[in-house]
Amino acid sequence: MNQERKRLDPRRPFLLNPAGLRRIILGATGGFDASLLAAPAHKPAAKPLRLHGDPAGYLLAAAHSQRGMLDAHAHQAIAAAALLATPQQAVAVLVFGSLNEDLRAYGADLVAVLPGADELGFAPEQELAWLDEFVTRYAPAHVFMPDNETGDGDLGRRLAVQLEAEVATHVVELKPGAVAMYWQGGAALARGPMPLVVLIAPDVVETSLPFSGAGETVAPPAAQAPPGPYQNRGLREIAASALALEEADFIVAAGNGVADIPTLEAVAAAFGAAVGASRVAVDEGKFTRDKQIGATGKTVSASTYLAVGISGAVQHLQGIKACRHVIAINCDASAPITKRADLSIVGDAQEVMTALLAGLAQRNWPDTARESV
Amino acid sequence: MMPPQLKIAALVSVGRNPASGAPRAARNDVLALDAALGLAREVSVLHAGDAAPALHDYLAYGAASVEVLPLPPGADALAPLAGRVAGYDLILCGQRAEAGQGSGMLAYRLAKALNMPVVSAALEISLLGDEVEIVQFLPKGQRRVVRVSLPAVIALHPLAPRNPRYVYASRRAGRLLSAPAQVGAPLPASPWQSEPAVKKPQKLKPPETRQGHARLLGAIATESKGGALVREGSAAEKARAILDYLRANRLIGF
Ligand SMILES: Cc1cc2nc3c(=O)[nH]c(=O)nc-3n(C[C@H](O)[C@H](O)[C@H](O)COP(=O)(O)OP(=O)(O)OC[C@H]3O[C@@H](n4cnc5c(N)ncnc54)[C@H](O)[C@@H]3O)c2cc1C
Repeated sequence: MNQERKRLDPRRPFLLNPAGLRRIILGATGGFDASLLAAPAHKPAAKPLRLHGDPAGYLLAAAHSQRGMLDAHAHQAIAAAALLATPQQAVAVLVFGSLNEDLRAYGADLVAVLPGADELGFAPEQELAWLDEFVTRYAPAHVFMPDNETGDGDLGRRLAVQLEAEVATHVVELKPGAVAMYWQGGAALARGPMPLVVLIAPDVVETSLPFSGAGETVAPPAAQAPPGPYQNRGLREIAASALALEEADFIVAAGNGVADIPTLEAVAAAFGAAVGASRVAVDEGKFTRDKQIGATGKTVSASTYLAVGISGAVQHLQGIKACRHVIAINCDASAPITKRADLSIVGDAQEVMTALLAGLAQRNWPDTARESV
Repeated sequence: MMPPQLKIAALVSVGRNPASGAPRAARNDVLALDAALGLAREVSVLHAGDAAPALHDYLAYGAASVEVLPLPPGADALAPLAGRVAGYDLILCGQRAEAGQGSGMLAYRLAKALNMPVVSAALEISLLGDEVEIVQFLPKGQRRVVRVSLPAVIALHPLAPRNPRYVYASRRAGRLLSAPAQVGAPLPASPWQSEPAVKKPQKLKPPETRQGHARLLGAIATESKGGALVREGSAAEKARAILDYLRANRLIGF
């Protein structure tokens, strides 16, 4: 039995098609050509534009930014408009407060920014005048806003009343031309036609879209409201250390890599931050159980999360999904937390914390940070 | 102290026990009533609708009487309420009803009908002459202080730090008063159809057009971006990098 068996050459020349699939070049023989593999397999292709040509109508989204960014809930309001727009309708977005992020990924075609709007201020009449002017300019079929407690829920209701328009609040389901929301404290679901003003509940819209918006910047509204009966008397901030972890906006969290707890607490105090911990740190008795963050601990939504000596196990990362800015201090550059973190410092926790305290004590760097709030 | 002629009204509704569905005093409205009683001895407690037995709970929480404005079925509560509270200095209500639509629109509509300012999410209310100062709830441990001139409509936040006491003796002592029936404007036929909430609402998603392979890649791809990595430098420089990041993103105020 010396019959030669026909074998397929596993290294036949092939090409990668745009979808990343291997395609054998028929008829070609020979060895493996490394130059073909070197071609980038997954170049994130620019997403196609949703809107072509001149728009025949508009959908609006409006929200307040915080520190130059919109939150996930606001992104969902924009994405809702983009997903529900007909191919001829453009999505116009009005942002109260400054904006340093790209809203095209959420389908925004026209973006107007009001950097003068005080992010956490209270000027309902001025904001209503701006929004009213924007609505008049585009005569939208619907206005989508997040139904939140940071100003948009309030402003949306004021808009509906001002325009004497139909409104749906706490909307939990959106379909073309129809909305649904809970009645009777959640026991009944009411469905009806989509009104002009749609205030959506959180997490009812998917924000990863297969298309992109045009993202053109347009002039913000310029209306000036006369002085009214409202006066803003400023914010009263409760020290983060006095807050439950879930409500804190700045958390300094310790893991197994932190030996010196008093230094960590001093860092947290210097930032006015709440203290959290990983499970290992809690199990070792360094912290009480109510400080544990993660799958079996607390789920937090702080804007800033400083993870000191935490490896970033999935169970821990689960608890910090909603955190906007994650900063890690870890002596291991390949720890999983570095993939999640926006800034990773590779170094000894104790040294960096001590240097941080020294830097915070000096505070002699140029002060270009936000002045107010 | 406050001028005695200040007229304060608390609007109350029939709530709903979230577990059993049994009618009860609505939690937010109890807070509004309690806040009103903290501001004035005489408070008009008003309810538009039927004289439901659950309204007796408000007597227990301190209302001397509850005035019921009868409402034909299907009529809008706004007109009778607005007619009744016209001329009041301060109108308090809960931010969101427990039964019915619970849209949180009443305070805004009432304020518009009466041409008054409206402030919602109120935690604390104090009177300062012809103004009222309100501490408003904001998430993440922030509170905002605003002032409005009277008259005004104020909606109480569910987390208002009040401690209403239930006193059975006052429940027995108080009374429900029925105002003469009014002909409220009937609402236009409602386009809303309600059904028992058994199914989970569907999330709005883009239609799936990708083929299997692309979908698989999308499912396993992690969205982790992996931010900047600082390896080099002294500890002081690393600390500086953290502070620069915090300041660049305006996460610290100094
Ligand atoms: C069912 C289950 C549920 C769980 N739930 C949770 C949960 O809710 N929350 C949670 O946190 N964990 C949870 N865990 C545990 C989780 O899997 C990890 O074991 C845990 O998060 C690891 O904690 P750590 O990062 O502090 O410790 P380690 O994994 O030991 O990591 C320590 C890190 O510190 C670094 N380090 C060490 N020394 C220094 C130094 N001197 N300077 C700087 N860096 C240093 C190391 O490089 C390492 O990356 C759960 C596990 C299971 C199985």
